[in-house]
Amino acid sequence: MSKFKKKGESGPPAINTSSLPDIVFMLLFFFMVATTTKEIDPLVKINNAQGTGVTDLTPFKQRSTVDFVYLGAPLKGDASKFYKGIAIQYDGILHPDGINHIGQWKIEKFKSKPLDFIAPKENVITCFKADEHVPMGIIFTAREILQDLDFNSIAYAAQEMGNKTEYSIREQ
Amino acid sequence: MAKREAPEINAGSMADIAFLLLIFFLVTTTMDKDTAYLRKIPKKVETNQPQSPVQEKNIYKITINSKQVIQARDSIIKPEDISTLNSKIKHFYLVNRDKKQNRDIKYPYYAFGSVELYQQNLDNQMNRLDALENQEVIDDNTQKRIEQALDAVSKWKEKLDMAKLYSKYSGKKEMPEIAFEAHIRLESFIDTDYSAYVAVQSEVEKAITELRDKESEELFGISYSRMSAVVLQRESEQTPEIRMYKERMELIEALFPLKLIEVKPKR
Repeated sequence: MSKFKKKGESGPPAINTSSLPDIVFMLLFFFMVATTTKEIDPLVKINNAQGTGVTDLTPFKQRSTVDFVYLGAPLKGDASKFYKGIAIQYDGILHPDGINHIGQWKIEKFKSKPLDFIAPKENVITCFKADEHVPMGIIFTAREILQDLDFNSIAYAAQEMGNKTEYSIREQ
Repeated sequence: MAKREAPEINAGSMADIAFLLLIFFLVTTTMDKDTAYLRKIPKKVETNQPQSPVQEKNIYKITINSKQVIQARDSIIKPEDISTLNSKIKHFYLVNRDKKQNRDIKYPYYAFGSVELYQQNLDNQMNRLDALENQEVIDDNTQKRIEQALDAVSKWKEKLDMAKLYSKYSGKKEMPEIAFEAHIRLESFIDTDYSAYVAVQSEVEKAITELRDKESEELFGISYSRMSAVVLQRESEQTPEIRMYKERMELIEALFPLKLIEVKPKR
C-alpha cells in the first residue's frame, strides 16, 4: 500500500574510491620531500643530545664534505670489551681499536673521494654522533688525532629542541 | 566504418601501486635531519716559545665537571639552571661596549676604530711595503718583513671595508671592537657527558646568535641567522645578493666574534 516501497536488497551504497590514488600520491610526495634516506644501519645505541641553534648539515652532505662517526654502547655483543663501554662505529663496522682508528679511517675516506672533489683537507667535517653519556675524553682524543692530521673541521651532532628549554642532563 | 570509442583504462590498481611506493619510502627514509654544531680545531703550531698569558678579564672560563655541574667564572650552575649561561655570556660581551671610561675592569675592553684611522694604518703599511720592495738587496730577512707587511696590508684593507660598511649603515663614526684576546674557554673533565658539553655549546651558540641577530636587525633590517641560512644553502652561486650577505656577515662576525677555546681534559 505504501508509496515508499522498499527497493530491492541492494545493501549499503558503494563508496566512491576514485580519489584514493590522489590522496595516497599526496602522502607519498609529502614523505619524499620531508624525509632523507638513511645512510647506514646503526650498530650503536644513540640517544641524541639536544641543543638550540644547530646547523643543518644537509648542504654539506650534498657536497660530501662531512663524515660521520658514531659513538655509543654497542647494540649487540658485550659492551665491556670496549673502552669505557663505548663502541665506535666507522661506516659499517665497530673497529676494535676504538677511537685510535679515526686517523687512518679519515685518511682512507679522503683518498676515496671522487676526483673532482676540491675541498681542502681542513674543510672536510668530521661529525661526532655521540650518545648522551659518551665521556668527552674520547672525543678529545679524537680531536688530537685529527689536529695532527690537519682535519681541522669538526661538528658535534645534536638534535634541535625547538622551544623547549629543558636539557636532558642531570647531576650525577 | 563506425568509429569505436577507446576503451577505458582500469585505474583501480593505481592506489595499490601508490601505497606500495609510499610504504617503501616510509621504510627507507628517516624524518630527523642531521644537525650539529660546527667547530674548528686550531692548526697545530710548532713553537716552543711560551705564549704570553692572556689577561684574566679577557677570558670567560666555563668548566663542566664529571657530575655535569658547571662553573662559569665564579658562579656554580646546576644542570637544571643551565639557561642562565645565556645572559652571563651576553653580559661578558656587552658590559664594556660603547664605554670609554668607567669600564668594568673584570671584563674585556673595547677599542674604537674609524675609517680615518684604518685608512691611515693602511697607508702606513703600504709605504712600508714600498720601502721594503725598493731596497737594493733583498735578503731573507727583508723577504720576511715584506710578507709581514703584505699580511698587514690585507688585514687593514679588510678592516677599512668593514668600518666603511658599519658607518654607512649605523651612522656612527666609530666602530666598537672587542679586545682581540677576548674568548670563551670551555674546559671539561674526561668523564663529562657529551650531552652536558653539547648543552653548554648550545647556550654559547644561542647567546652569540642572539647578539648577532640583534645587531644585524639594527644595522641591516635582516637577522644574521636568516642571512647565514641563505648563504649556506646557495654558497656556490655568485649573485650580488650572496656577496652582499657575505660582506654583512663578516662585519657582524667581527663585531661579535665567537672565539671558543676547547681545552683537552686533564682529569
